[in-house]
Amino acid sequence: MTATSTAEHQEIAGLTYPTKRDEAWRYAPHDVLGQLSFGLSVGSARQLPPAFDASISALEGPRIVLINGVVDAERSDLSALPVGLRLSTFEDARRDQPELLAVHFDSDVDLSTDTFTALNIAFGSNGAVVHVTGGHAIDVPVQIVDIALPDETGSTSCSGVVIHLEEGASATVVETRIGDGDFGGSNTRTTISLGDQASLAHIVLQDIALTQVHLGRVDATQGAGSVLRSHLFNLGGRYGRVDYGVRLAGEGAKVELTGLYLGMGNQVLDQQVTVVHAAPDCTSRQSFRGILDDESTGVFNGGIDVRPGADGTDAEQSNDNLLLSDRAEANTQPRLEILADQVACKHGATVGQLDTDALYYLRTRGIPEAEARRLLVGGFADQVVDTVDNEILRTWITERVRRHDG
Amino acid sequence: MLHVENLTASIGGTPILNGLDLDVGSGGVHAIMGPNGSGKSTFAHALAGRDGYEIDGRATLDGVDLLDMEPEARAAAGVFVGFQYPVEIPGVNNMYFLRTALNSVRRARGETEIGARDFLAVAQEAMDLVEMKEDFLHRAVNAGFSGGEKKRNEILQMAVMEPRLAVLDETDSGLDIDALRIVASGVNALRRPERSMIVITHYQRLLDYIKPDFVHVLVDGRIVESGDHTLALHLDDHGYADFVNHDLDDAPERPLSGAAR
Repeated sequence: MTATSTAEHQEIAGLTYPTKRDEAWRYAPHDVLGQLSFGLSVGSARQLPPAFDASISALEGPRIVLINGVVDAERSDLSALPVGLRLSTFEDARRDQPELLAVHFDSDVDLSTDTFTALNIAFGSNGAVVHVTGGHAIDVPVQIVDIALPDETGSTSCSGVVIHLEEGASATVVETRIGDGDFGGSNTRTTISLGDQASLAHIVLQDIALTQVHLGRVDATQGAGSVLRSHLFNLGGRYGRVDYGVRLAGEGAKVELTGLYLGMGNQVLDQQVTVVHAAPDCTSRQSFRGILDDESTGVFNGGIDVRPGADGTDAEQSNDNLLLSDRAEANTQPRLEILADQVACKHGATVGQLDTDALYYLRTRGIPEAEARRLLVGGFADQVVDTVDNEILRTWITERVRRHDG
Repeated sequence: MLHVENLTASIGGTPILNGLDLDVGSGGVHAIMGPNGSGKSTFAHALAGRDGYEIDGRATLDGVDLLDMEPEARAAAGVFVGFQYPVEIPGVNNMYFLRTALNSVRRARGETEIGARDFLAVAQEAMDLVEMKEDFLHRAVNAGFSGGEKKRNEILQMAVMEPRLAVLDETDSGLDIDALRIVASGVNALRRPERSMIVITHYQRLLDYIKPDFVHVLVDGRIVESGDHTLALHLDDHGYADFVNHDLDDAPERPLSGAAR
C-alpha cells in the first residue's frame, strides 16, 4: 500500500477520527485506531500462511479472494457459476454492471462523521459483486474472503462487497475477514439490496489476527416481502467492529440479525446495529450474544427506528452476555425510536456469569469442572451457531468458534 | 455399603442436618420420609457434594470417604443423585451430555471410553426403560422439558450411569399418575443386588410403586424412627405429627433455580 498523499487522500484529509464522545465509538480503543494508516491498495508480495489456504478451500463453491484490497485471481474461483449467479470483481462490474456499484459508492452515510466509511469509499476500489438475476435460487454458498497482510506502517486495507438479489431470488453469501502478521487491519463495507420476495442468508466471520483491527460495515435495503438472515461471528482483532444498517423499505420485509462475539485478552468486540422500519408490517429480530473472558470488552449498541407510517411493525431485540472473568466488561445500549402506530417492540439485555447450579448438576454426573465449564460456554455459543440453517456452514462455523471458546 | 454417621450440615450458620445416622446395605432400598424443611434435600445435596454447606461427620461408600471429594469424584465412586429440580441447560445436547458424563466416570475409573455407536445402544435401552422417544436425545438437557420429562430424564441418566448408590430426591413431586408409573417402573427395573437406593419422598404414594426394605423418618435433620414399609402406611394415615414436637411448616423447600437463560 501507499499511505502517501494521493488525490483521494487529500480530499479526505480534513476528516477527523471519532472520539470517546461519539456514542457509537465510546468503547473503541482510540489510541489503537490512531495508529492505523490508510492508502490505495497495492496488494502484498507476502506469502499467505498455509492455514489460510486450507481455510479458504474448506468451503466449496464460487469465491472471490481479496488480499490487502486487491483481487487474488489465483485463489478466486469464478468457474462453473450456477445459472442466475453473476459473481464478478469491481473491476469487471465497472464495465458490465455500473449501476450496482453506483449504489455502493453513493452511500447515505454522513461521511463527515463516519470517517472510516469515507476512507473505505476513497480507497476501497476493489471488491466483489454477487448478483442473482430474476428469481433464481442459488444453493451453493458464495464465499468472499478478505485477507489483511499489513506492512510495518499499520496499513489497513479497504474493500467492498455488493450483493444484489433481484425479485424472488435467493442465495447464501459467506464473508470471511481474516488477517495475519503485523499491526494494521481491514476496513470492509458491504451493500446489500434485496428485491421484492428475495431471500438472502448472509454470514460474516470476522476472525482477523488478535493484534489487528477490523472495521466492517453492512448496509442493507430490503424490498417488499424480502427476507434477510444475517449471522455475525465477531471473533478476532484487538478491535473487531461491525456496523449494521438495515432499511426495511418494502411492506412485509423481514430481517433477522444474530450475532456471537467471543472476547479474550484485551479484545474489544463492538457491534453497532440500526434497523429502520420504513414500511408497514415489517418484522425485525436482533439477537446478539457475547462471551467475554480476561479483560475483554463487548459492546452492543442496537437501534430500532420505526418511521411514520410503518404501522404493524414487529421488532425485537435481545443481547445476552456471559462474563467469564471479573475483569471482563459488557456494554449494552438499546435505542428505540417509534413514530408509528400498532407497533410491537420488545428489547431485553442480560449480563451474567456461568450458572453455578448448572455447573454443579454437570459435575454430579461425573463431568470434571473444567470440562463442565467448556460444555456450558459451548452451549451458550451453540444457540447462536444453531441459527445457521445450512448444515455444512454450521459445521464450518462451529469449528472456527471452538478455537476461540476452547 | 453406605455408612453415614453423625452427619451435620448447616448453611450460613443455620443448622439443617443435626447428626444423621444411616446404614444402607448392598441391594437395599431405603425410603426417607419427612415433612417439608426436615432436611431431606439437604441430605441428598450433602451426598452429591454441593458447595455452600458447612458439613461435618462421616459418609463413606464402600469404606471410601465421600465428604472430601469433589462432586465429579463422588460420581466416579458410584454416587448418583436424581434431583427434585433438574437444571435446564440450553444449548447442550442431551445425548452429548449423557455420553460425556458416562465417559468422564469411565475415564476417572481407568476404564476405556465408549464410542458413539456403542453408546447409542446404551442410550436406546435406557430410553425404552422410561418410555422416551428418540427426539428426546437430540434436545437440549431439560430445556423446555415438562416436569415429568425432567424426572424421566433423571432416571434415564441413572440407567446410563449404572451407579452403586442412587439417591432419588422427591422423584415423585410434580408427576401425574402416568408419569409416576413410568418413573417408578424405571426405578424398579434398575434394582440390582449390588446397587443401593435411597428414595426421598414427602408422600407415601411413591412407595405404592417402589417397595422399600426400610423406611426412615427424618425430622429436624435427624432420623427419628425407622421401620419396614408399614411405617410409611402409618405416616400416610397419621401424618408426621407423632414425630414432630412443634408446628409443621408447610412452606415449600427452596428449589434449585433454573439454568435457563
